[in-house]
Amino acid sequence: MAPIVRITNLDKYFGRLHVLKNISTDVHSREVVCLIGRSGSGKSTLLRCINFLEEPSDGSIEVDGIAVQSHGRGKEHRQLIHDVRLKTGMVFQEFNLFPHMSVLENVIEGPVIVKGMDRAQAVALAEENLDSVGMLFKRDEYPLRLSGGQKQRVAIARALTMQPRVMLFDEPTSALDPELIGEVLNVMKKVAKDGMTMLVVTHEMGFAREVADRVLVISDGEIIEDAKPAALFTKPKDPRTKALIDRYRTGGK
Amino acid sequence: MESVTKPAKSQAELLVEAHQKKQRQFRMGVGATWGGLLLILIFLFSGQSLLGFQTIQLDTEFMQKNLGFIGSGLGETLLISILSISLAIFLALLAALGRLSTFPPIYALSTFYVSLIRGTPLYLQIFFFFLALPQLGIILSGIVSGVLALGLNYGAYMSETFRAGLASVSKGQREAAAALGMTPLQTMRRIVLPQALRFAIPPMGNDFISMTKDSALVAATGFVHEVMWRATRVGRAQFNNLEALIMAAMFYWVMTLVLTFFQNRLETRLSKGDR
Repeated sequence: MAPIVRITNLDKYFGRLHVLKNISTDVHSREVVCLIGRSGSGKSTLLRCINFLEEPSDGSIEVDGIAVQSHGRGKEHRQLIHDVRLKTGMVFQEFNLFPHMSVLENVIEGPVIVKGMDRAQAVALAEENLDSVGMLFKRDEYPLRLSGGQKQRVAIARALTMQPRVMLFDEPTSALDPELIGEVLNVMKKVAKDGMTMLVVTHEMGFAREVADRVLVISDGEIIEDAKPAALFTKPKDPRTKALIDRYRTGGK
Repeated sequence: MESVTKPAKSQAELLVEAHQKKQRQFRMGVGATWGGLLLILIFLFSGQSLLGFQTIQLDTEFMQKNLGFIGSGLGETLLISILSISLAIFLALLAALGRLSTFPPIYALSTFYVSLIRGTPLYLQIFFFFLALPQLGIILSGIVSGVLALGLNYGAYMSETFRAGLASVSKGQREAAAALGMTPLQTMRRIVLPQALRFAIPPMGNDFISMTKDSALVAATGFVHEVMWRATRVGRAQFNNLEALIMAAMFYWVMTLVLTFFQNRLETRLSKGDR
């Protein structure tokens, strides 16, 4: 079966800094892939290259059959990026809910404005997704009045309501108070169980171990290990992976 | 057992109450002093004498006769202000967006406009449109010259307000919109501008209030019959400048008080609403 996400020979430079070095990997339908690594390793940049929030310097990205080459220019290229973004949902570390819109308005904004969906239909879909993340009771509230965990759950519902083929999570729990992390991880587990394809940049080793089908370890812009969590967490092949895992073990989380 | 007493007020409630009481007292003190100062001002112009001190005697007959004449300039004053602020908002928005552009000519155009206009007096700009352009064959009426000059001038200043408003919208907001598949135009219209405008509305209100007063400069063209023009006209004609200018001052003051009142209401509504 064709992969949902195919990353081929991806390079990314920030000026002269080489942050991603010839990355290639496939993510298949219903797969949950966690990306772990130290901060500055390039894992977030890799994720952001998939929906072109960062423009890759070289290589190509393919999402659900839509292939986009780097060095693209012009209208056609922008259209391809737009198509890729319609197939990817993104959840940010800082939530990035729209503060001037209620919870419901946040969630229907994409479907109505971008997809041109009928408002009533969008509301129905939004309510369904808000319910599944346990946030329907705050449907008319404004983001300012929500806790961090609640904001992130709304952000997940917002991304899901675009009906993407793959969800990208960029350190979704890193900005949360420790006691609020659990509720967000539980929602993510549910999304995974419902069969969503997911790429998750995270420091939550427990989540990676329990939910991921595969874990990619990124170090200095390279995938240094790509393995099932059971194998990776018990018998890491690369000493850098071992060091990373040990650090989390001793560091509490 | 459940009906012993109302639950005692929490410490937080008591603190809030004490704070509110203090604020109320402060506001009452300020109000009383304002009243006192106003009475002193009125007394100073009452023509009465107190303890050998003779206050200023105004020509009340002149004032009564010309109150209507000067007051009927209010419509024109407000008309100029409203037209000018509309033009200013439009230009300010363009200039602020230009300041965000990464395309050098657009950025330069915006900064050039702001620099040129802020670097020359408003008075000069009004005369430029009214007196200098006719030399090039372009003849504008007093009101059009005034509106163009005020609009251009305030547009340059307000562009800074808009720029700050646009800058107050975080990069994450644009990224979230982009990730949803919104185009740059949709992102600007639906996500960035509404947040930026909310930030910019209170300072815009201040600019409008300030503009109603700067519109008096348009009187200098001699062809716009707003409050200031009327005041100087009757004042000079009958050598009652003192009375005429005092009346004009009162009209401007009352107008700004009324506008400030609405401005404050708008501000409280924006701040407590949904932000």
